[in-house]
Amino acid sequence: MSLPTDFGPDSGGRIKGVCIVKPIVYGNIARYFGKKREEDGHTHQWTVYVKPYYNEDMSAFIKKVHFKLHESYANQNRIVVKPPYEISETGWGEFEIVIKIHFHDPNERPVTMYHILKLFHSGNTNDIGLEQGKGLVSESYDEIVFQDPTQLMHHLLTNTKQLTLTAWDHNTNFEEKKKKTVKSIQDAKQKVRLEVVLLKNRLKLARETIAQFKEEIAKLQENQYVI
Amino acid sequence: MADVRDIMELDQPVTPELTRESIIGSDKLKKRTFSTTKTQRRPEGMHREVFALLYSDTKDAPPLFPSDTRMRRPRKWEWMPFTNPARTDSAVFYHWRRPSDGPKEYPFAKFNKKIDIPTYTDAIYQQHLQTEGWTKEETDHLMDLARRFDLRFIIMADKYDTEKYNKRSIEDLKERYYKVSGILAKSSGERKVYHYDADHERRRKEQLKRLYDRTPEQIEEEQFLINELKKIEARKKERERKTQDLQKLISQADSQADHLRKADKKIPKKKLANPTRPSRVDTSHILQAVETAGIKFPDYKNSGVSLRSQRMKLPANVGQKKSKGIEQLLQEMEMELNPIPTEEVCQHFNELRSDMVLHMELKAALTSCEFELQSLRHQYEALSPGKTLTIPPQLLSSTTENDGMKLSGNPEIIDVVGSPGTPSGAGT
Repeated sequence: MSLPTDFGPDSGGRIKGVCIVKPIVYGNIARYFGKKREEDGHTHQWTVYVKPYYNEDMSAFIKKVHFKLHESYANQNRIVVKPPYEISETGWGEFEIVIKIHFHDPNERPVTMYHILKLFHSGNTNDIGLEQGKGLVSESYDEIVFQDPTQLMHHLLTNTKQLTLTAWDHNTNFEEKKKKTVKSIQDAKQKVRLEVVLLKNRLKLARETIAQFKEEIAKLQENQYVI
Repeated sequence: MADVRDIMELDQPVTPELTRESIIGSDKLKKRTFSTTKTQRRPEGMHREVFALLYSDTKDAPPLFPSDTRMRRPRKWEWMPFTNPARTDSAVFYHWRRPSDGPKEYPFAKFNKKIDIPTYTDAIYQQHLQTEGWTKEETDHLMDLARRFDLRFIIMADKYDTEKYNKRSIEDLKERYYKVSGILAKSSGERKVYHYDADHERRRKEQLKRLYDRTPEQIEEEQFLINELKKIEARKKERERKTQDLQKLISQADSQADHLRKADKKIPKKKLANPTRPSRVDTSHILQAVETAGIKFPDYKNSGVSLRSQRMKLPANVGQKKSKGIEQLLQEMEMELNPIPTEEVCQHFNELRSDMVLHMELKAALTSCEFELQSLRHQYEALSPGKTLTIPPQLLSSTTENDGMKLSGNPEIIDVVGSPGTPSGAGT
């Protein structure tokens, strides 16, 4: 990758008003052994990962991805410098994994995500159709937002290559989820707004009534003093 | 090992003392060990490391190998006389020495250090050193002892001539000695003078003695008291922390009230003729404040990288009550607490939650209005018996749950003291 000479970490200049968004998917898949392993009591094999939402090679702008596992794992800090950004391990328990993405430009601070490693089915997990429900996936969508990127970063972000030539899809249908979510939120918003208008009207009425009551009372009191 | 055992007054080890013969193995002993035991057992009480040093035929041969260096003639040692210059009696002793080393001064003589004990003449004593409680003879005796025992005051006190003089403590001796030597040093122009604080020393020793003489009961009591003190201090800290928290809360509430009052300047406050119920809250200012309520999400216009999901985090100034309320509302509407963070979702979701907060506050304000209406009505009824005021039906709380959705806010922002019951002493 050859860079024009005015680029570089020292050029420092940020391109104002530019905003580049890189959607990502992070999470884990897990597979049940079918039984508890004799030697160490492990029950699952799992893989935690960060991957691009679109088919692109993120190593163009990502320097490294840091996965912090549970302290009971040997070298709990795992660092991956090129795709696929993933760590495979075996274990028996769920825990929080800290995922930190570092970028090539040192002027851009790393971003941190937290993922609860899932081994057992719960509300947010999906089957991935491995041998009768033995596999599951728990993944989240997020977007890395580069506001006013530096020149270097801008160059790196806009010059990514495809990661694979084959189709690129995910275990979770995020597009559908996006649509549904937007709709439900908008519906809810409408409902709440309606309520708010009603409440405001009632409040107005209440205020007027209070003023009116006070006036009545004041009148009565004046009369009393006269008497 | 044996020395240590002696000091500690332990029993002598059961095993025979190690002698030169037992280590090197005189012929007789060797034969016996050969005939009786195959492997020598480690005697009880002997350390493994020491035992490993012992000679034993059953172990590997010593790591010796033939060398090609020729044996040189050993240098000679001679039994010869010497004198120790540190001695005054020039006694002659003998020791082994190499003739090749040549005659040298006895090397250990230099370790015989003599301390300079100051001396004085009669005249000087009369002039400078007289003091109460000490005669010249006794001072002389003290200086003599100091010289003989090299200022070892403990020994000096022990050897003090108690037949001629009174018994004196170590501190007394030191005090006198250092005073004398100080005065003499000063008069001879020396700058550095040792000063001995005898009182301090006496107090120090007394203190140590008392500490040492404590009975077990006293020690126990002291420990108990220390623990009590710790407990008291912990409690005090806890109390201070609580007061601080309370202060913070109060000042927060104050500043909020101030803020509201400013917005309220134009509305003239009517003096209520009911001083026995001073806590009636004038709700009108709340109503105004409420209409601008909501959540202020920070602008993400700063340069740099961030995650979209970060922008859906509630700002820190949203209290726990509000965030709990939002959570509850979301759950009631069967919505995710952390929806998928796209730009669109992010924007709408934040607006939704801002509206929810507004909704909750409106509701709370309405509740307090209801309270006020009720109490105003009671007041009115008390002032003019038989007559009453009508509260519009829309404002009665029984009608609040008719909107098809249950948005249950927390109607407890304002705690109206006293239920709207009969006001006492109305119209005074």
